[in-house]
Amino acid sequence: MNSEAVVMKNISKEFRVLNRHEGLKGSIHDLFSRDYRTVKAVDDVSLTVNRGEIIGYLGPNGAGKSTTIKIMTGVLEPSAGEIMVNGRVPYKDRTANAEHIGVVFGQRSQLWWNLPLIESFNLLRDIYLVPEKEYREMLELYRSLVDLEPILHKPVRQMSLGQRTLSDILAAFLHNPGIVFLDEPTIGLDVSMKAKIRELIRGLNEAKETTVILTTHDMGDVDALCRRIIIIDKGRKIYDNDIGHLKSYFGSYRTLRMRLGDDSWVEQVIDEKETDVMHVMQEMQKEHRIKDIQLQEISTEEVIRKIYEGGKSA
Amino acid sequence: MTKIRRLTALTRAGIIESLQFRLGTAVMLFGNLIYLALVYFLWKAIYDSSGTDMVNGMTFHDTMIYLILATAIFNLLEMFIVWDMSRAIQSGEIIIHLLKPMRYRLYTFWSYTGAHVNNFFLAFVPTFIVVAVITGGAIPMGMNLLYFMISLILALIVNFNIEMLVAPICLYTESTWGINIVKETIVLLLSGATIPLAFFPEGLRQAVEFLPFRAVYDIPLTVLLAKNGTDTLAGLLPKLGIQALWVVVLTVCGNLFWNHAVKKITVNGG
Repeated sequence: MNSEAVVMKNISKEFRVLNRHEGLKGSIHDLFSRDYRTVKAVDDVSLTVNRGEIIGYLGPNGAGKSTTIKIMTGVLEPSAGEIMVNGRVPYKDRTANAEHIGVVFGQRSQLWWNLPLIESFNLLRDIYLVPEKEYREMLELYRSLVDLEPILHKPVRQMSLGQRTLSDILAAFLHNPGIVFLDEPTIGLDVSMKAKIRELIRGLNEAKETTVILTTHDMGDVDALCRRIIIIDKGRKIYDNDIGHLKSYFGSYRTLRMRLGDDSWVEQVIDEKETDVMHVMQEMQKEHRIKDIQLQEISTEEVIRKIYEGGKSA
Repeated sequence: MTKIRRLTALTRAGIIESLQFRLGTAVMLFGNLIYLALVYFLWKAIYDSSGTDMVNGMTFHDTMIYLILATAIFNLLEMFIVWDMSRAIQSGEIIIHLLKPMRYRLYTFWSYTGAHVNNFFLAFVPTFIVVAVITGGAIPMGMNLLYFMISLILALIVNFNIEMLVAPICLYTESTWGINIVKETIVLLLSGATIPLAFFPEGLRQAVEFLPFRAVYDIPLTVLLAKNGTDTLAGLLPKLGIQALWVVVLTVCGNLFWNHAVKKITVNGG
């Protein structure tokens, strides 16, 4: 096996969309319309994901994240470019590719709604032809990572969203796939469930060296899990590097807050490339008495927001 | 080669899943009673007004047995692939099915088998026993039962293929309701499920001979009732042959159509 889990070269995906018109007259017009426009959902994206990595795949809504994931899983054919997943071309042999990947779409479940979770697991074991011994070991691993007993015999339809998401993630790892795609796995979950899910993903990634490709809007997920992130916007890749790099990408910003003699707080954003914190404080002290200070690192969230809003290319 | 384990696991899960809806089975049997009461009075009126005991070679008795068993087979064969597929496509859930490590058609077929097995034991067998007891020997109890099982399985596959030929149309039309109604009506009428084929006008009856629908109801029922010489191998094999032929033809067509239709999803994103 080579060391790359996913290799994408100049992948583009275009959709043909009918131009719809307004109102009743427009709707009737649309019935006969041949007026299509082409939408580029993914535009010339190249990337490589190495085995065992957890990649944060980020971008604003409609940036092309899900389209990329669908191309990687094989349910969408790219319009142009080359792609290899686990050494296979996913869209050419979707079912063979499916044996070696796991997928969780946060909004929908692959579990059997009316069956207790354990029955869904047993069924997946048989569908993916998992040997009994490996299956048992996997369940043991699950037990060591999460409290499985309360949900194992519960029908999926009776589960809370958090329990269901947890179950879906376990189901995606069950056949020990080389890559697992998690499309917004923490969407709609409470803080403690989010933490549990993150712990689980990290635990499974470490135990099985599974490559994880994660899309999310929650920077908490990114901070907790990903060392490397890829950001796309309007279908184009705009950032692909370490997360540590990201913070210094727009300059090393920090926010200095100072409490002055009259107990009021003033804030100063400092770009460390131009000046440093001590210098700013010295300048301030010439005119004011400083009683207290706070120093805040710029959060990933703020940096990402700057990128989304700025659209600056890396 | 697909491993058998995958298929039996899907059947097993289907059985467990449909057993959860035992109330549904009860409601279905109750609905059948109402439907059959209607059928009874309708056909009684037809026979009374005809003035003879025998219409188109069938007595009232024959017709009732035929239609009751046709209803039981209908319960057994009923599939909701047209609905399920269109809903899965609209909600985008079809992706989950496409990402199973099995071919979609195979996966869908075997996902339904559990419900078939259940309906066989919970709907068909009880109906069959009741009919057999009440009519006291009108249904022969011999090799025809074994032949019927073979014929029924072939009918099941033909029916699945008809569903799978209709369901993907929703990918092109974005509407399902009308298509499904048309399909239901055509299948139930031309297969002999609502009116025995013997009652059809000659021209239509001959046309129906060349259509796949009679392989779903008419042939298995004929075999079960050991009519038209199907109690001998010489009479039986041509009937099973017709069914087998339709299985092959429709499977090939269904595969081709599905492979084309699925491109709508994989190329245009549904």
